[in-house]
This record gives sequence, C-alpha cells and structure tokens, in this order.
Amino acid sequence: MKKFAYIDATSVDTVPSLLGRRFGQAQVLAGGTDLVGELKEYIATPDRVVNLKSIPGLDYIRQEDDGLKIGPLTTLADIETSTLINDQYSVLQQAVSAIASPQIRNVGTIAGNICQRPRCWYYRSEDFDCLKNGGDTCYSVRGVNRYHAIIGGGPCYIVHPSDSAVALMSLNASVKIQGPRGPREEMLDDFFVLPELNIMRENGLRANEFVTEIIVPASKPNTKGIYVKVRERDAIDFAMASVAVTMTMSGNTCSEATVVLGGVAPVPWRVPDVEQFLQGKQITEDVASAAAEMALREADPMSDNSYKIEMTQNIVSQAILDLA
Amino acid sequence: MSTNGYKVIGSRPIRHDGVDKVTGRAKYGADVQLTGMLYGKVLRSPHPHAKLKGIDTSKAEALPGVKAIATAADLPQIADKIADLGEAVVNLRDSSNNVLAYGKVLYRGHAVAAVAATSRHIAAEALELIQVEYEPLPHVTSVLEAMKDDAPILHEDLKMTEMGEETDKVSNIANHFQHKQGDPEAGFTEADMVIEREFETATVHQGYIEPHNATAEWNEEGHLTLYTSTQGAFSVRDQLVEILQIPVSKVTVVPMEIGGGFGGKISVYLAPVAAVLSRKTGHPVQMTMDRDEVFIGSGPTAASYLKIKMGATNDGRITAATAYMAYEAGAYPGSPVGAGAGCILTPYRIPNVQIDGYDVCVNKPKSNAYRAPGATNAAFGSETVVDELAEALGIDPLEFRIKNGVTEGDRRPDGPEHPRIGCIETTEAAKSSAHYGASLEPSSDGKLRGRGVASGYWFNFNGGRSAISVSVNDDGSINMLEGSTDIGGSRASISMMLAETLGLSAKDINPRVVDTDAIGYTDATGGSRTTFATGYAAHATGKALICEMKKRLAQAWEVSADAIDFKDGLFSYKNDEEKRGTFKELSGKIGGTGGPLVAQISTQPDGSGGGAFATHIVDVEVDPETGKVDILRYTAVQDVGTAIHPSYVEGQLQGGVAQGVGWALNEEYIYNTDGGMTNSSFLDYRMPTSLDLPMIETILVEVPNVSHPYGVRGVGEVPIVPPPAAIANAIYRATGTRMYELPMSPPRLASQMAKNA
Repeated sequence: MKKFAYIDATSVDTVPSLLGRRFGQAQVLAGGTDLVGELKEYIATPDRVVNLKSIPGLDYIRQEDDGLKIGPLTTLADIETSTLINDQYSVLQQAVSAIASPQIRNVGTIAGNICQRPRCWYYRSEDFDCLKNGGDTCYSVRGVNRYHAIIGGGPCYIVHPSDSAVALMSLNASVKIQGPRGPREEMLDDFFVLPELNIMRENGLRANEFVTEIIVPASKPNTKGIYVKVRERDAIDFAMASVAVTMTMSGNTCSEATVVLGGVAPVPWRVPDVEQFLQGKQITEDVASAAAEMALREADPMSDNSYKIEMTQNIVSQAILDLA
Repeated sequence: MSTNGYKVIGSRPIRHDGVDKVTGRAKYGADVQLTGMLYGKVLRSPHPHAKLKGIDTSKAEALPGVKAIATAADLPQIADKIADLGEAVVNLRDSSNNVLAYGKVLYRGHAVAAVAATSRHIAAEALELIQVEYEPLPHVTSVLEAMKDDAPILHEDLKMTEMGEETDKVSNIANHFQHKQGDPEAGFTEADMVIEREFETATVHQGYIEPHNATAEWNEEGHLTLYTSTQGAFSVRDQLVEILQIPVSKVTVVPMEIGGGFGGKISVYLAPVAAVLSRKTGHPVQMTMDRDEVFIGSGPTAASYLKIKMGATNDGRITAATAYMAYEAGAYPGSPVGAGAGCILTPYRIPNVQIDGYDVCVNKPKSNAYRAPGATNAAFGSETVVDELAEALGIDPLEFRIKNGVTEGDRRPDGPEHPRIGCIETTEAAKSSAHYGASLEPSSDGKLRGRGVASGYWFNFNGGRSAISVSVNDDGSINMLEGSTDIGGSRASISMMLAETLGLSAKDINPRVVDTDAIGYTDATGGSRTTFATGYAAHATGKALICEMKKRLAQAWEVSADAIDFKDGLFSYKNDEEKRGTFKELSGKIGGTGGPLVAQISTQPDGSGGGAFATHIVDVEVDPETGKVDILRYTAVQDVGTAIHPSYVEGQLQGGVAQGVGWALNEEYIYNTDGGMTNSSFLDYRMPTSLDLPMIETILVEVPNVSHPYGVRGVGEVPIVPPPAAIANAIYRATGTRMYELPMSPPRLASQMAKNA
C-alpha cells in the first residue's frame, strides 16, 4: 500500500474539492470492500483517500412521490432486508442478495457496488501493465479469457462486476452526482461507458465527482422483476452471466419490459431490441427463446468464453418465462 | 458412552484447545511479537524460467528502515541430500534453492531475495528497489509438454532415473518406475470387456486458511529459535540444520497453533530466510506470506495426466489393469506420483497389473503433499474406469467393487500384502446405507440428477517416532507433553488414550504441544499417523505409569509390586479394602516413595497395520442451461479402525469431502501463456463455501487396526480420495456426459455437454 493522506469529509459540498481534478490522485472511501484491496495491491495509488462515512445522512431508503431514493452509503445488507424494496423493487433485492457474502454485504455500499472496479485478473495483477492500468495491451485477447466479455468489448474486454447495477438499470434508475458546480442527475443507461470511449473508467464520473443518491422511478402496477445470476460458487463469486428482467403484464401479454445483461459486457448491457420485441407479445416458450437469441445477437466471443452465449440465452429465456 | 467396552474411547469430550480457538486467544504464528522485531518480505521472480545474471541490492539497502537483504549468497551451497519429511521426500539442496533461487529461477513466484525492515511497508517498498537481471528462458508448464525430447530443460544436471537405475539422459523426467504383477496382456485377452481412458487433473492448492509464517531469533551465542506454524517442528529443525549447516543443538523450533496444513506445512519456505535475516541484523525477524504468495510461492499439489486400461469378464471379474501416470513435480523432482501409484488400484484384487509412474519437472512451484498425496488424482482416473466397466457389464457399481474387493492376504499392486483391513466391510456398508437405498427423485424444474459412487485407498503411515512426557500432579491429573502438531483434534484423542489406559477422564489430562527442546523427536503430523503413532506412545506411557505406580504402592502398602493388580481402573492388593483405589485417588498418597510420578516414552511402531478404505455416495443436480453442479446429498463411508473421538473422526471425513468437492468442481491453477497463475486469490481460486456443500453424512465402519493397542487406524486422508471420481460418475448418470478432466466447472461441463448434444 502506498502512503496516502486520509481525510474525513464533513459535507457533500466539500468532497469535490478534496478529490481534485486529476484522476487517480484521490479516491472516495465508502464501504472499502473494493478500495482496500486495490490499495493493498497497488492498483489504486492515490495521494488522498476521502472518507465519506464521516458525512452524516448518506444512509437511507425512502419512498417519495417520484419514486425510491437510496442514500449512496446505504449498505447492501440494509437493501437486502428492506421490506419496501422487497415488496416493490424485488429485482433489486434479488440482485443485492446475490452479491459476495453476508460479511461483505454488511459493509459494502450501494454506490460502491455500482462504481466498483472490474475483477479482470490482468487488471488486478501488478504483473500486467494492461490497458486499464495505463499500458498498451489487453492481455485477455491472447491470454485466458473464460470470464471476459462477449459483447461490447474492445480494446479492453472486462465485464462489469456489479449485480446491483444490472437490476437498477432494469428499473430505469438514475444517479445523482455531486460535482464542483453542484449536483447533476444521470440515467444509469448513460452513466456507464464502454472501453472504446474511456479505457480507464467504467462510468462517466469525473475525477472530482461522486454519487450522492440512487433514484428509482415508482414501481408500476402489474410489474414484476427477476434477477438470475450464474456463478461457479454459491457465495463470494461474480457473475459468469446474469440477467435482470422486469415485465409489466396485462393478462399473459407483456405490455412493457426491460432486459439487462450482466457479466457479459464491460457495462451492464441493456438490450432495447429485445424490450421492443417483447412489448405486446403473449409470453410463450417460443417468444422467450426468440428474445434470448436476440439478446445475444451481437455476441462475439473470445477463445475461451463462447460457453457464455448459450448460458446467457438460457437464463434470459428462463427469466422471461418465470415472469409470465 | 461407547459400546466397545471402553470408558473414554468412543466418547465425545470437548477438546482441550477448543475454547481458546473459538474465542481467538490461541496463538498462531503471526501472533508472535518479540522485542525489537523486524519484518521480512520476499522478492519473487516475474519469470517462469530465467537465468539469474545479477542482483543489485544497493538502492534497497539505502532506503531508511531497511536493515538487511538476503539472497542465495547468504545460504551455504550444499550437496544433494535426500530427506524424508513424513509425507514428502525432498532433496535438501533443492529445498535450499527453492527458498532462495540460486543461478536460475524455475517458476513465477520463485523467491529471489528478501528484505528485513522496521515495517512491512518499508520492506515492501524496498523490494521494488532491488534490481535483478534475468535472462529469460523458454518455459514449460504442462506435464506432457515437459516430457517431450525438445522441451525446455529445467535442470541441466538432472539425469533421468529409469526403473531404479540412473541413466545418462538429461530430461525433465526425474524418475520412471514400474510396479508389475502377472501378465497384463494375457489378462486383457482373458477379458470380455476392456476400457481405456485418458485423464487430466489441474494443479490445486491445499488452501489452508493460515498463510505460511516464520519468526526467527538468532542470538549472539549463535542459537536460533524459530517460531512457526508447521505440521512438524522437528522436520523444520531438520531442514534448518541442513539448509543453514548449523548444529542441531543450536536450533529450537517452537510450534505455534496451526491454521491448516494438509501436507503443505512440512516443507519450509520462510524459516531459513527469516533466520538468515535475523543473523544479519541481530534482531528477531518475522515473515508472513500474503495469499498471493501462498498460491505462487508455496507447494500446491501436482497436476497430472493418466491413462488407465482395465478389463473384466462378463461375470464381473477384473482380469487386468494398466495405469500410466505422469505427475508434475513442479520446479524440483518429487511429485506424489509414487504414492499415487501405490494407491491407484489397491481396492481391487487384480491378478495382472502394471503401473508406470513418471515424476516430471515443470516451471511451476515445487509440488507438495496434499491430503493423501497423489491418490485423489489417481482415483479420479481408476474409479471412473471401474464405473464404466460396471456399467458396460450391467453390474451395480458397488456390487462390482465388492466382487473384486481386497481382503487380508491379497497383494497391493506395488507389492506388500494387506493385513486385516476393511475394504469389503466399507463397500458393503455403503451398499446397505440409507442413502444408497433411497431413490433419487427427479428434479421438478428441468435440472438433471444423478447418483455416483467411488472408492479410495490411502496407505496410512503406521510408523515414525513419537514421544510423550508426563508428570502426575497430586490430584491425579496429568500434564502431558507431546511433539505432534494438533491439526484435527489430536490433543483430545491422544489424551483420551492415556486416560483410557489409566482409568482417568479426558479432562484429567492437560496436553501441551511443546518445542523441540522439551520433548523427544517426533515425526510430523502427516500420513494420517498422529492419532495412531502418538496415541501408541500415550498408551505405552500409561502402561509405564501403571508399572511405576505399582512400585510406589508396593512401598506405601509394604507389599510386593507383583502382587498389586490393576484392573478396570482400580489398583488393589488381594481383597484388602485398605489397599485399593483408582489412579486418581492414589496419586496423592504416594508421598515419600520417591518424588512425583513421571514418565517419558518414545516409540516407533513397525509400520504394519494396513491402510484406510473409503466408499462415497453422492447425488448431484446439474443445471443443463449453465453446467453448474450442485451437491444434493453426500455420504462418506470409511473404515476408521476404532473411532477414538467420533466427532473428530466425522470431522475428518467431512473436511476431506469438502476439499474433494472443491477439487472436483472448481479448484485449479489457471495458467496464462506467459507461465503465470492468473487466479492467485481466494476470489478467483474457488474453494467451496458452506452454501456449496450439503451436510456431509458419515458412516463409520470400525475394523480395528491389529497393530495398535486401541485399534486406531488413520482417518484423515482417504476421505479426499473418492470425491472427484464419485462426482464425475454422478454427473455422467445425470447428463450422459463423461468428464475426463478436472475441475468439472461450469465453463468446462457446459462446453462438454454442448459438444455431446
């Protein structure tokens, strides 16, 4: 771990100036479950670590007129056990309860989960000067890539590690962001960025910005959601593939749907074509498998990860059928 | 209370070390704190194979807080010398070169230099300042590649040993040996059905939760005291004496509590390095590995390639078998192929058999023992072929195993005759178990279910040296010193045997695992020997105390010692009501007869007694959409001899199965094309969690070991042997897909099922 100054922030407004304008110079600390590992492995080598836990009032789950508001420092465990979320935004509860382990969920926060860095083993190793670490090679291309991206990759092939982001995107959630000139709001659809746009980051936060709230539109009647995650191990494991689907049903006809894939692309991967395709359809096995095939149409696997295509198709169709 | 006539044996007292462990008070290696202590860190090779051209430490030495730097130049360069460490045979010159590379680095993670500094952070910073000049060489990380004639050679001076004779051939194949009985070709001709298959298994790690550690204090008089977590304090002492070339009287090894070893904590990695740094600085030096270092810089167990052929007649009699076994030794010779070859076909009576074993160097960490070393890889192959044969012949797989099972007097393929063992009893208990009798209900949601079985064998090391030293307190309680690392409840089981002998209860014994100055030489806790061998010494110690007590009572009672009887825990003289009492009652009444009662006993049993057999039954559920395997139900049946403390016996079975499930389904070193391990963390090297395992059921079959006074048979290792094969056989029953490679993880199983579809 490189030496750094540790600063307890006292208010949201002061954080941007503490962070400064240069990426890498400072890091925000919330639950620390990702950051501490990065610090120890010299992946993150900031001069300053800005503690957000010293700011009062960033930990809440509230239902307001325009929807659900979640404070950025709300722990994953609090979300998992919230009756409100379980009743009205069950897809989020399902996704959060599939994260890591109870111990990590007790400490990890929702904003931290959305903003966590990728788990790619080349990125996480000190020995590889990969694209994301400022080098000029993505080692997964010629290396071992069984857990890497099958969609949206290039020149870097990480998969986005967050479960909660996949569920939140399926709920059309947005994030409130604090910067030096005050707050702004961004849909999650626009928040995440592909490596071809910014190789060093997974989202559009500027160096001196941080997430201050997660906003989920009010749930609609007759709407249900499901999160399906495939992992090798039943705890402490990231998704080989996952999917969040929400569907509004009238009878057995789908009037509206959202479909977001996880574990297969450098960002939570929304598939608008599939959403449109499902709209107005009676949900049958044929419809579900057609949707699943469509969801993976752009897949372009690497040497070791073509298994993910069928795996993902299978869970997409399973998720759709389960909601019908 | 047990049903076998014993009072203590067979009961389940709370272990002596239990409360300290669950409350966090027990002291492990990294808890050692000494005055003026420095912290050491190791610089590791980024290359899998390279010549060391030079090491410049000047910049690192100039960093404030750095007190010393060590390289191989600080170790005496020693000649070849083979040492048997209980579970693994090592060449001490190789051990020396493994702890600090000399001339060449042979794997990524190979230790090159070490720094002692006033803090861990300064030590880590100093590592970055050490400049090493490497000349990279081509590398090889797979056993079959390494065996080819044009493979990069790891050791230019290593001549292949062929059937016991050293040849002139420079090769990565350190050794080829053969066991042969009968005429396999004729045996296959006799068979109605012959099946031949090839198998591959990945490099796996023991995964002990406590990383390696060593704290060395080399004082001004030249005496080295070393605190460490190890399976064998005396083995560590032996290695320090040889690697550092110092007199044995100048070394004390203090064993701390151990957070798991499984065979991986017998060889030393940090201890000699910490010692050298302490000598150079005059301060105690503590070194601990982080998890990444444990993966890349300790001793995982061998990856392997197997080709197995078996033939049987239509009525289900195995007529012949051959096994070709090539195991990766890692950077230096000494894979567990020998042990694997001695276990592979041992559960079966096979008249014609040939086993060829190859020990092959590759650019990976030096392989080490892992719970029944070599036998799990072997059984994955042989037990799959046995399953296929039984299926092809239309015979129940357990019936097939019983029909061909070994009994007393049968020969193992590697020669020795079996004494009284429980192979058939175990398989029969599996066949009549509730689990095997229950039908496996199909899944309601489209998943595929299947049941598999497999058997396994492990020799058990029924020998080695063990010492016990006791002193009796006035209240009849006993302070018992021993030299065996307590890895699975052996303080309790050994105390119980002493208590049983003397008519005491387990809590009357106060067991202590002590340092190498305080007790006679005791071999490492390994080879499933400790409860057997140190318990053997405890029994002998109890007998000696009884004898001594009789002498003292003879004085106190003024009778002849020969006339004093000891039976059912009671000393008595004829029918004299005044002259009788238990050991406990009488201990305080022998004042003036010659000071406190003490005894010291050292034993070395002759190694006879035979091995352990296990048969496992597993129900799996496979998700055809993802290739993920869930274990629904698991039963481990095993001949455990006499179960001294049944809870800890059951714990050993469950622990072995848990590790075997990980080996079967998820665990592997994933190597990159540049020869490095990509997944050197517990996140990416997936060991099962509690959610991945059902409650593992156990059935203890007790066929007492005739070579032990209480019938103890080692139990700790064989339970890891059957799981991969049993699970592979279950996956086949569920999906119709045979898996010939470990691990059977979702990416592999999904791909294989897609290929077969």
